[in-house]
Amino acid sequence: MRHRHSVKVGPVGFRIGSAWRGPVAALHSLYADYPTPEDDIPDLTVRLYPERPWRRWLRPSVAISGDYWLPDAAPLPLAQGLLAAEMGMNLQVALGWRRHLLLHCSAVERDGRVLLMSGASGSGKSTLATLLALAGWRFLGDEFAFVSLDDGSVYPFPRAASLKNEAVAAVRAAGGVVGPVLEDTPKGRIGYWRPPAHAIARMAEAAPPRLLLFPRFGAPESVEAMAPSEAFVRLTQASTNYVALGQAGFSALTRLVQTVPALAIGYPDSATGLAMVDRLWGEA
Amino acid sequence: MAQDCDKPEKNPGESAANPLGVAGRRGVLMLGAVAATSVVTIRPALASTAASVLNCKIPIPDPPHTGQYITQDGKLVAANTKGAVAPPPRPITGEEAKKMINGQSPAGFDPSSREAYVNYIRRLQHGTSGFTCYASLQAPRP
Amino acid sequence: MTSPVYAADPPAARVAVALDALVAVYHRPSGATHLLAAPSPELLDALAAGPADAVTLRDRLAALYDLEGDGTAMIDARMEELIVAGLAWRI
Repeated sequence: MRHRHSVKVGPVGFRIGSAWRGPVAALHSLYADYPTPEDDIPDLTVRLYPERPWRRWLRPSVAISGDYWLPDAAPLPLAQGLLAAEMGMNLQVALGWRRHLLLHCSAVERDGRVLLMSGASGSGKSTLATLLALAGWRFLGDEFAFVSLDDGSVYPFPRAASLKNEAVAAVRAAGGVVGPVLEDTPKGRIGYWRPPAHAIARMAEAAPPRLLLFPRFGAPESVEAMAPSEAFVRLTQASTNYVALGQAGFSALTRLVQTVPALAIGYPDSATGLAMVDRLWGEA
Repeated sequence: MAQDCDKPEKNPGESAANPLGVAGRRGVLMLGAVAATSVVTIRPALASTAASVLNCKIPIPDPPHTGQYITQDGKLVAANTKGAVAPPPRPITGEEAKKMINGQSPAGFDPSSREAYVNYIRRLQHGTSGFTCYASLQAPRP
Repeated sequence: MTSPVYAADPPAARVAVALDALVAVYHRPSGATHLLAAPSPELLDALAAGPADAVTLRDRLAALYDLEGDGTAMIDARMEELIVAGLAWRI
């Protein structure tokens, strides 16, 4: 591939190859402060390529492949190459990572303990994590939390947060810098937020989890304790590698739900959400 | 990994060799109603097969706008608008959407409407019927 | 008609963690995870002493617990669920 970029995010060393300069240049800029994989040996490879030779130039569209690939993912227009690179990186981690239990959770740390927030797109987990980081929590990630199979601690994956639609404005209103912004993607408007330098510098520092929230944005304010068995089932749905990890995954996940209280919270807006997090963290 | 796979993992409350369950010491054991369920098998969401994702459906247009026509660049306009195409006779499946996106024309749909349908699908937003189906065509699926 | 005789893997084939009222069970031979409510975990353990029909299972359970509910029809229903889940079988 003619254009390349290597970057380490948390435990994962990526190598991205691209048939076009654009996506690599965008990655280089967004990930300027991140380290590169140790000894230049990547863990996972992403390839951005044209599905047909003429697609390099004619209405160029970016197909995503790598060590792990899906046969029927639809390609993206070149203008959304950065999104293609992000999806490619997500895909490789989701399909290929086995060294930690992967949960679709955002994570932030305070006083040496981690708050995990689990939910689907639109639940607000990424926006809340970003806003908490702007309020002084250490940002560990907006999408994936890496849970140690040995001791249950949470390892950061502090990639640039991918904020969707209204979240872009919400983070800017809180003083966060969001850019670049892609419009009309399959997921709507997407803006990228770079974590603060200290979050990147401490990306190898894990911490034990203390509270697990299942947030629901746009609902009336509510808090409901969640039984460990329900949290367990929800998290099996929120993990991309629980099945592949076998018994190690089972042990890590049962350990997590037994040691960390889980709450389902509804919140009508970000300000309320942040206030609730502060209060519940104090009570945990 | 250091653990020995033949030995049970030691976790709080975990035991592979002793009687377990809520009635670990002598207590009441409810045998339950015949119709009740006592076993739930975990089926991780991401274990869905290619077949089940590709069978998901995208109605064109989504139900609040049934009957509207679709312009070549995927926007909705009033029925019978000149230059716009009629909606497909039924919702299209993920499999059919994938084919259309890749330039093919699956059976049962007017080939000249393909581009309009594809652009409509590309414009789907979160909350519109069919968005999840379209997004799942894009999303990682181990 | 003779009543069915059930069997299950020995307890060491499963890893069980009591979470709350439900027990999470990892079945090593299949790699599948299940959530079980009483009396299913107890039934699996009661089979550790060897294959048994519903009457025998009821007796084994009665030795350890005070049983509530009429035994054998419910035990057959529970065992059916365990069979569907791959945790037990009929011999």
